[in-house]
Amino acid sequence: MTDAMRLSICVVVGLISCFFALSFGAANTPLSEVFNGLFSQGGDEFVQRIIWQLRMPRTVLAFLAGSGLALAGLILQTVTRNPLADPYLFGISSGASFGVVCFIALTGVSFGFSMSVAAFAGSLLSMLLLIAIAGRRHVGQVEAMLLAGVALSFLFSALTSLLLYFSDPQAITAILFWTMGSFSRAQWGTLWLPFTVIIACMTLMIAFRRQLNAMLLGDESAATLGIHVQRFRIMMLLLSSLITAVLVALCGGVGFVGLMIPHIVRYFSPQGSSHNLVMTSLVGGIFMVWVDVLCRTLLNNQELPVGVITAAIGSVFFLFLLYFRKQSR
Amino acid sequence: MVARQERTSLQQTSHGSAPLISVSDLSWGIANKTILKSISLELKAGLFIGLLGPNGAGKSSLLRCLYRYLKPEQGAVLLNGEDIWQINADEFAKQVAVVLQESPSQFNLSLFDVVSLGLTPHKRLFSGTSINDKQRIYQAIEQVGLSHHIEQAFDSLSGGEKQRALIARSIVQQPKLLIMDEPTSHLDVKYQIQIMELAKSLDVTVLASFHDLNLAASLCDELLVIDEGQLVCQGQPKAVLTEQLLSDVFGVCAAVSAHPQSNTDKFIPHITYFYGYQTQEHQND
Repeated sequence: MTDAMRLSICVVVGLISCFFALSFGAANTPLSEVFNGLFSQGGDEFVQRIIWQLRMPRTVLAFLAGSGLALAGLILQTVTRNPLADPYLFGISSGASFGVVCFIALTGVSFGFSMSVAAFAGSLLSMLLLIAIAGRRHVGQVEAMLLAGVALSFLFSALTSLLLYFSDPQAITAILFWTMGSFSRAQWGTLWLPFTVIIACMTLMIAFRRQLNAMLLGDESAATLGIHVQRFRIMMLLLSSLITAVLVALCGGVGFVGLMIPHIVRYFSPQGSSHNLVMTSLVGGIFMVWVDVLCRTLLNNQELPVGVITAAIGSVFFLFLLYFRKQSR
Repeated sequence: MVARQERTSLQQTSHGSAPLISVSDLSWGIANKTILKSISLELKAGLFIGLLGPNGAGKSSLLRCLYRYLKPEQGAVLLNGEDIWQINADEFAKQVAVVLQESPSQFNLSLFDVVSLGLTPHKRLFSGTSINDKQRIYQAIEQVGLSHHIEQAFDSLSGGEKQRALIARSIVQQPKLLIMDEPTSHLDVKYQIQIMELAKSLDVTVLASFHDLNLAASLCDELLVIDEGQLVCQGQPKAVLTEQLLSDVFGVCAAVSAHPQSNTDKFIPHITYFYGYQTQEHQND
């Protein structure tokens, strides 16, 4: 099977997935009604509202979150040559949690768009600290980054816990819900932001695909191909942090996707082509759309947090793949 | 055969002309320790040049200074008369390709992807890989004899095959100078010979560090020997590889004779090592 074929399969599956996802939810809407609601004017106005105002933005956000996190993971795994690298390893999400907790502790408000702004500010803070600490190193930059990321993430978790310890129970519930992730806050008004960031990032990745591949051969080899290795790595780190910060701000903590999806795609298609890159983002998006469907339907009249499902399904699927890959070798 | 003829013609034209690389008074060190001490040398275009020296002599550091990875503290490296730190990284990479010991990776780039990386310095950001480029990549892969592995993952190749793939990458890079830092020291003797002969068959100037002195003696047009960060001597193998030098620099007792493949045109030194460095008292203990 060629790369182009794999890619077109992903596109088709992606479209079908989004279409199906629109029919799931608290109100029962069969596929025919979804179709009518989407493509014809005369239909049940109530169904149309549900689909256009509630489920559609939510599905789109889920798709964007999945594809964005998968891309961020792919970037980080490539430039650090570390198969365990993902956006959360670098302290970005704990920075975001810290931002949210500070915001709630200071203002007492635990809802609304300003919480996203606080999360974004928190992740930017942790990212800038990381780059200030490890960015200028010329020898062992990767190791410094990974260690600094882990240390920062512990630091911010500790500060978060400290603030939570002194907060009231209501704030604690809000934080807990937020850290487990949810797409329920999706609105058409905010979707342009992750969309723009992800498209920009994907464009840059395609532009720099040769440089990204060269990084896999090692810093020294990459340098001999004319790449400013340290500068390039910081640029890519900034890019993936930006994606993560935007998504964490809008959906909360959704872990494991960034780590897992690039590995899964790598099993099926060699890394290095632009096909693989686009495919990684599509598979991430499809995965997240179905995770969101599960969240909405597993329990009656109640939503499960997204982060719980991604981690549960993701790790089982991943272990499964690892086990069978060993066998076939 | 064609490559060989071109090599000798290049060699002839380069006599008297400016050297490809010229190093003047180069020093480099790390943490108050000087590794390279005031090295000056010139490399002529068209030659296959071997760099020799005991472990820790500074071979890798010298090569790194030459391929613009380390910036010298003092002195300069000129490529065709231009300071390599005045040229931008892309331009430099178009002229100098480097093959290092392959590093293992977890990610499955295919052989084709790895070889096509040679295009990196030649390509603008969004430009694709043209049919012409692909042709060049396939040709390079064929030249190193890996056509039957083309879609295979790089990591699934053997050590010798990986090294040949990296040479194919440097062919695609179309450099004037190929620098190799002990590309074969972890390989079987068959592959050591194969890879060095492959590098020699390319129509470029090659500077390679060697572990095996006999291999260097038979393949190189010229040898550089460094010890404790200083250039000890430079010249044709028969002039450089003397019993005296082997004892002074490498600390071994050896006899140098003519290799059976020597002829009237070319004398190939062959080193026979003597053993028994443990003293008698030790054995009696």
